[in-house]
Amino acid sequence: MIELVDVSKRYKNGVNALNKISLKIDQGEFVYIIGPTGSGKSTLIKLLDGEEVPTSGTVNVVGINIGKLKHNKVPLYRRNIGVVFQDFRLLKAKTVFENISYALEVISMKKSIIRHRVRQVMNLVGLDDKGSSFPKELSGGQQQRVAIARAIANKPKILITDEPTGNLDPAMSDEIMALLEKINREEHTTIVMVTHDNNLVDKHKKRTIVLENGHIVADLQKGGYVRHD
Amino acid sequence: MINNFFRHLKEGFFGVGRHGAMSVSSASAVTITLIIVSIFYIFSMNLQKFTKGIEQSVQIAVMISFSHEEQAVMDQIGVDISNIEGVSNVAFHSKEEELQSYIDSLEDDYLKQIIEPYKEDNPMHNAFYVSVSSGEYLQSVANKIKEIEGVDSINYGGDSAVVVVNALKSIRNGGGVLAIALSLLAIFLIQNTIKLTIQARSDEIAIMRNVGARNGFIRTPFLVEGVIIGILGSIIPIMITIYGYIYIYNVTGGMLITNLFKLIPPHPFVLKVSLLLLATGVFVGLIGSFFSVNKYLRWKR
Repeated sequence: MIELVDVSKRYKNGVNALNKISLKIDQGEFVYIIGPTGSGKSTLIKLLDGEEVPTSGTVNVVGINIGKLKHNKVPLYRRNIGVVFQDFRLLKAKTVFENISYALEVISMKKSIIRHRVRQVMNLVGLDDKGSSFPKELSGGQQQRVAIARAIANKPKILITDEPTGNLDPAMSDEIMALLEKINREEHTTIVMVTHDNNLVDKHKKRTIVLENGHIVADLQKGGYVRHD
Repeated sequence: MINNFFRHLKEGFFGVGRHGAMSVSSASAVTITLIIVSIFYIFSMNLQKFTKGIEQSVQIAVMISFSHEEQAVMDQIGVDISNIEGVSNVAFHSKEEELQSYIDSLEDDYLKQIIEPYKEDNPMHNAFYVSVSSGEYLQSVANKIKEIEGVDSINYGGDSAVVVVNALKSIRNGGGVLAIALSLLAIFLIQNTIKLTIQARSDEIAIMRNVGARNGFIRTPFLVEGVIIGILGSIIPIMITIYGYIYIYNVTGGMLITNLFKLIPPHPFVLKVSLLLLATGVFVGLIGSFFSVNKYLRWKR
């Protein structure tokens, strides 16, 4: 499903964000990616999303070599994956409903089906009554949930989330985790979750990949937070 | 496909509405430029009419020699002149008409009496008055007429007429160059404004790509917005053109200083100019949006 082989990423300013990492994630897995700031987590997400191209090595997702994609084919690839960005990336000039439906309009889904599906995912993330609000009228946590709703609206095979609980209180975090687990369980969606939240990782144990200085320093099938001294 | 068409149209209108301030600033840039374009266009079209008018009023007078006064011969000369390239009109004046118009032009009655007897032995030539379609033909037409059998002499103001015609031509050409330069400047100014407003929305474009929108899907509503802004921006210039020009035409009575400088009548001239302004506004809005969106589509992968 997701396969990275000897992937390195060196930015133009000379920073080596990732060094020859190899990684395999199977269909239906739920994986944490943890590590300190600057360890390469964000770069990994950008590679999976097609926003960045690896300097060397190959990134294969759902059978597509992302680094080799043409600029105008990148959006088509992205219809296979849902991404929840740390900064939400909601369209400011569109309402919550329109933000979610936009992701379905772009794949030419029928209007009636779109309306139904948008209500469904809004209900799933607990935002039934916010359809006509604009993003700026919502709290951080609410925007986060809109972003999740948008990401899962077209039932992607893979859901990538960057700090999905970063702006939420513990109770809300647990709810989001429960939601992600439900999506993972019921839709067999592969979930890759980048997080800083030690408690969460300890509480909901999953396969945990630890990044540091652009290297994978641990890949624990049993999970649990890893502390280095 | 049709569904998408209406969707893009709707998105375009929403885009203009929800980015009110930006739409206003882009439309203002269109308005200001189109006002300048309108004034300049009206000015240069009138200038062109003046100079054309002067050019066409330059005529070549062709005197027929006394040895070729048979009607058939003169008719043949008339046909020969008409066949020269660049000749737009040939008018025949008989020697009697020539003399009469000369007499009529005299103010002194005594002089008229002196000349009256010459009607018996008319010293005037039969003549053709030849108009050319454009000033540049003046010299070549004159030279060819000279070579026709039976032409005694010609008169067209000679070199000075050619100088005036050439001067008018360069005024016209200069006006044309200036009009093109101004139009390019206008497109540049508007494109820059639109680019700035779209730049503010480069995040929006990147997000659309993030959720899987193809470039064409993202671009089309922006193009619709560009067209709407072009239309909105051309409303005021069109008003100014229609009411302003009709006002000026009425106040001046349709001419400047002398009869020679006649203004172009407002109808249908102002409508043509208005259509031109609308077309320019739409075209520039479309082109400006197209290049700007394309630029920011490439902003992120």
